[in-house]
Amino acid sequence: MASRTISKDIITLRGSAAIVSEFFGYAANSILYNRGVYPEESFSKVKKYGLPMLLTQDEGVKSFISGLTSQLSEWLETGKLQRIVLVIMSKATSEVLERWNFNIVTDAEVVETGVIKEKSDKEIMREIQAIMRQIASCITYLPCLDEACVFDVLAYTDKDTTVPIAWVESDAKLINNPQMVKLHSFDTKIHKVDTIVSYKNDEWEEEE
Amino acid sequence: MILRTPPSRKRRADTDTSAGSSGVAASPVSDRRLVLYEEHAAVPFGAPPASSEPFDQLVCTYHCRQMVKSEFMVALGTAERENAQYKARLEALNEQLSRIEEEREKYRDETNFLQQELAASKARENSLQERLLKEVGDSQERYREQLMRISELELEIKKEMDSRMAAEQLSETMKETVRELEMKLESLSDSSERERNSLRRELSYVQDESKLSFSNVTAELERTRLRAESAEGQAELLKEQLISLKEQLDECLTQKREIEHQLSSSNISSSSSVCSDDQKRITLLQEELHNYEKEVQDAKRLKSSHLNSELLKEKLLEEQSRRERAELELSKLHEFQAKARKLELELASWKSLLNDIPDIVSYSDIPKKFAELQKEALENMAKVGEITAQLKEIKVTMEYADLSKQRAEAECVLAKEKAERSSLEVKRLQLMLASVTEERDRLRHGSSVSSKDAGTADDFHVKELEAALNEKERIMKEMESSLQEHGEIIAHQHAELKLLNDRLSDESKKVKSLERESDRLRHEVALLESKLGHGDYSSSNTKVLRMVNTLAVENEAKQTIEALQAELKRTTERLQAVEELRGQSDAALPEKLVQLKNQIAVLEKREERYKAVFAEKILIFRKACCTLFGYKIVMDDQKRPNGIPVTRFTLQSIYAQSDDEKLDFEYESGTMNIILNDYTSQSDIAHQIEIFIRKMNSIPAFTANLTVECFNRRTLC
Repeated sequence: MASRTISKDIITLRGSAAIVSEFFGYAANSILYNRGVYPEESFSKVKKYGLPMLLTQDEGVKSFISGLTSQLSEWLETGKLQRIVLVIMSKATSEVLERWNFNIVTDAEVVETGVIKEKSDKEIMREIQAIMRQIASCITYLPCLDEACVFDVLAYTDKDTTVPIAWVESDAKLINNPQMVKLHSFDTKIHKVDTIVSYKNDEWEEEE
Repeated sequence: MILRTPPSRKRRADTDTSAGSSGVAASPVSDRRLVLYEEHAAVPFGAPPASSEPFDQLVCTYHCRQMVKSEFMVALGTAERENAQYKARLEALNEQLSRIEEEREKYRDETNFLQQELAASKARENSLQERLLKEVGDSQERYREQLMRISELELEIKKEMDSRMAAEQLSETMKETVRELEMKLESLSDSSERERNSLRRELSYVQDESKLSFSNVTAELERTRLRAESAEGQAELLKEQLISLKEQLDECLTQKREIEHQLSSSNISSSSSVCSDDQKRITLLQEELHNYEKEVQDAKRLKSSHLNSELLKEKLLEEQSRRERAELELSKLHEFQAKARKLELELASWKSLLNDIPDIVSYSDIPKKFAELQKEALENMAKVGEITAQLKEIKVTMEYADLSKQRAEAECVLAKEKAERSSLEVKRLQLMLASVTEERDRLRHGSSVSSKDAGTADDFHVKELEAALNEKERIMKEMESSLQEHGEIIAHQHAELKLLNDRLSDESKKVKSLERESDRLRHEVALLESKLGHGDYSSSNTKVLRMVNTLAVENEAKQTIEALQAELKRTTERLQAVEELRGQSDAALPEKLVQLKNQIAVLEKREERYKAVFAEKILIFRKACCTLFGYKIVMDDQKRPNGIPVTRFTLQSIYAQSDDEKLDFEYESGTMNIILNDYTSQSDIAHQIEIFIRKMNSIPAFTANLTVECFNRRTLC
C-alpha cells in the first residue's frame, strides 16, 4: 500500500506529457460541445476528472482530436511546444471569433536530465477539474455564436521543430482588440498550463 | 511504719531543684537551716499574716509541719520552676517579637521598596501612556498631514484635471476650428467650383462670341476678297482698257505725229484752213488724253487698293492669331485670378486661425504649438498617473497608519488594563500591609500585655499569636513572590512590547516595499497576460503550425454524398416505376419519351434564358458599380503557397490616365489589405494610403479621394 502511494506521487516527463495531451483532448471536446460548434446529439457523456465530460462521437472529429493529442504528446515530451490554440472561426467569412489559448511552460531541467518530479495525481486532477468547470461555465459570459462555426488548432512550437505531414505553417489568426478572460492553470511540476480565452468584442460594446 | 522525716531522697531532690533554680526567691529551707514554719510561711506568697493565736492551735506536730513544709516546698519548687519556664518563654517570645519586628521592618522596607517600584512602574506606565498618547497624537498629526497632503494632491489632481479638460477643450476647439476650416475649404472649393463653372460658361460665351466674330470677320474677309477679286477683275479690265487706250494713245500719237508731220508738210499749204480743225481735234484728243490719264489714275488707285487689301488680309491673320493668344492669356488670367483669390482666402483663414491660436506669431509656430500641446497632454497624463500612484501609496500608508493606530490603541488599552491590575494589586498589598501592621500592633499590644501579665498569660494566646504570625509570614512570602512575579511579567511584557514594536516597524516597511513590488508585478503580469491572450509571439524563436483541418470539407463532401445518394435512391425508384410502367404499357413509352424530351428541351431553354438574363444583369450591375463608384473591378481567386485561399481584387479608376494606375487588394478571412505596386508606391499615393487606410482605416475614403484627384487631373488637363 505504501509503495503504491509512493509510486502515485512520482511523475515523469512522459506521464506529464500524457496528462497534458489528454487534458487538451477533453478540453477541446468540452469547448466544441459548450460552444455549439458541433450538434449536441453528436456527443456522449463519460466520467473523467470527477466530472461528467462530453466526448464527440463524430468519427471525423474523433480521429482529428486523437491525431492531435498524439502529436501534442510527442512535442510535449521533447519540450518544444510553447502554446496550443483552439481557434473558433465563422464558417462563412473565416473570421476568428474565439481563441482558446493554452500556454505551456516546460521544465527544461526535466527535459535535459530526465529528473523525476513529485506531485500527486489527485492534486493534478483537482486542478484540471477546476479548469473544466470554468470551461463549462464560459457560456455565461462569452458572446453567442449565432452563425455556423469551424475550429482550427494552432501549435506554437520552437523554431527548429520539423513540421509533421498533417501540419502546415500558418499565421497566428489573431483577433483585433480582443476581450480576455484568464482561467485557472494546472501544473504537473513538469508542464505548467495556463488557460486564457480571448474573444471578439461585441460591436455594441465598442460603441460605448 | 510512719516516717518521722520526709524521705531524704525527696528532700534532696527538692534541694537540688531549689539549688538549680535561680536565686531570685531562695527558700529558707535551701540553706539547710531549720526554720519555724510560722516564721516564714507568709513570706513567699504574701499570704495574710497568721495571727499568733491560732498558732498554738495550729501548731502541728513536727511531723505534720514537716509534711506541710515539704508539700509547700514542693509546690513552691514547681511554681518557681513554672515561673522560670514562663520567664524563659517570655524571653523567647520577646526574642520572637523582636525578630518579628525586625522582619516587619524588613517587610516594611520591602513594601516601601515595592511601593517605590510600584510608583516607578506607575511612572513608567505613565510615561508609556504619555508616549503612546504622543505616538497617537503623532500618528493623528501624520494622519492629518496626510489628509492635508491628500487634499492638496486632490486639489492638484483637480487642477491637472482642469488643465487636462482645458487642453481637451482646446483640442476640441482646435478640432472645431479645423472642422470650420474644412468647412470653409469645402465652401471655398464649392465657390471655386462655381467660379470655375461660371468662368467656363463665360469662356464658352467668349468662344461663341469669338466664333461669331470670327465668322463675321471671315465673312467680311470673304466679302473684301470678293471685292478685291472684283476689283482685280475691274483692274484687269481697266488694264486691258488701259492697254487698249495705250495702244489707242500710241495710235493717236502716231496719228498725231503723222498728222503733225502732215501738218508740217502741209503747214504751209493749208495752215489756215486746217488749223482750226486740227486744233479742234487736238483739243478733243487732249480731252481724251485727260480722260485716259484719269482712267489710268483710277487703275493705279485700284491696284494700290488691291495691294492694300492683301496687306489687310495679312493684318487680319495676324490679328486673329493675336486674338487667339489673347484668349488663351485671358483664360490663364482667369485661372490665375481664381488661384490668387483662393490663396488670399486661405491666407485669410490661416490668419484668422493664427489669431484664434494664442502664443503663435507665424505659420511655422503652428506645428510646434501642436507638438507642445500634445507633449503637454502626455505630460499631464503621466502626471495624473504619477499622482494616482502617489495617492495609492498614500492610501496604503494611511491604511497602515490606521492599523498601527488601532494596534497602538489596543496596546494602550492593554497597558491601561495592566496598570489597573497592578494598581489593584498595589491596593491589595496595601490592604495586606495594613492588616499586617494591625496584626503587628495587636501582637505588640498582646506582648505588652503578656509582658505585664506574664504571670497570667496563657498558652492559648501565645499559640494563637504564633499561628497568626506564621500565617502572616506565609502571606508575606506569597505576596513577595507574587510581587516578584508581577515585576518579572511586567518587565517581560515590556521587552516583548519593544520587540514587537521593532518587528512591527520592520514588517510595515517590508509590507510597503512588498506592496510596491506587487503593484509593479501585477502591472507586468497584466501586460504580459494581455500580450499572451492576444496571441503575440516572437517570430525569431517561435513558429506557428496549423493542423490541416479537413473536417469542414469532409462535412460538405458528406453532405453532397448524402444528397447524391438520396437522388440515386429517387432515380432508382423512378426507374423501377418506369420499368413497371414499361411492363404495363410499352406502347405509351415513346410518347412519354417524346414528352419528357420536350420537357428537357423546355427546361434547357429556360436555363439558357436564365443564364443570359443573369449575364445581362451582372453586366448591368458591374457597369452600375463602375459608373457609381468610378472603378473597374477585376476579381481573381488565388492560393498561397501554404494552401490558404486568397481573393485578389484589381481596381482601375475610370479617370485613370494610364493602364498602370491600378490598385491591388487582397481579401483574406474577412479583411481587405492593399498590396503595394509601382503605382501605389508613388509618394503621393503612398501618403494617401498611409492617411486613409493605415491611420483612418477606411479604404472607401481612399478610393473616393483618389477618384476625385484623378477626375480633377483629367478635367483640368
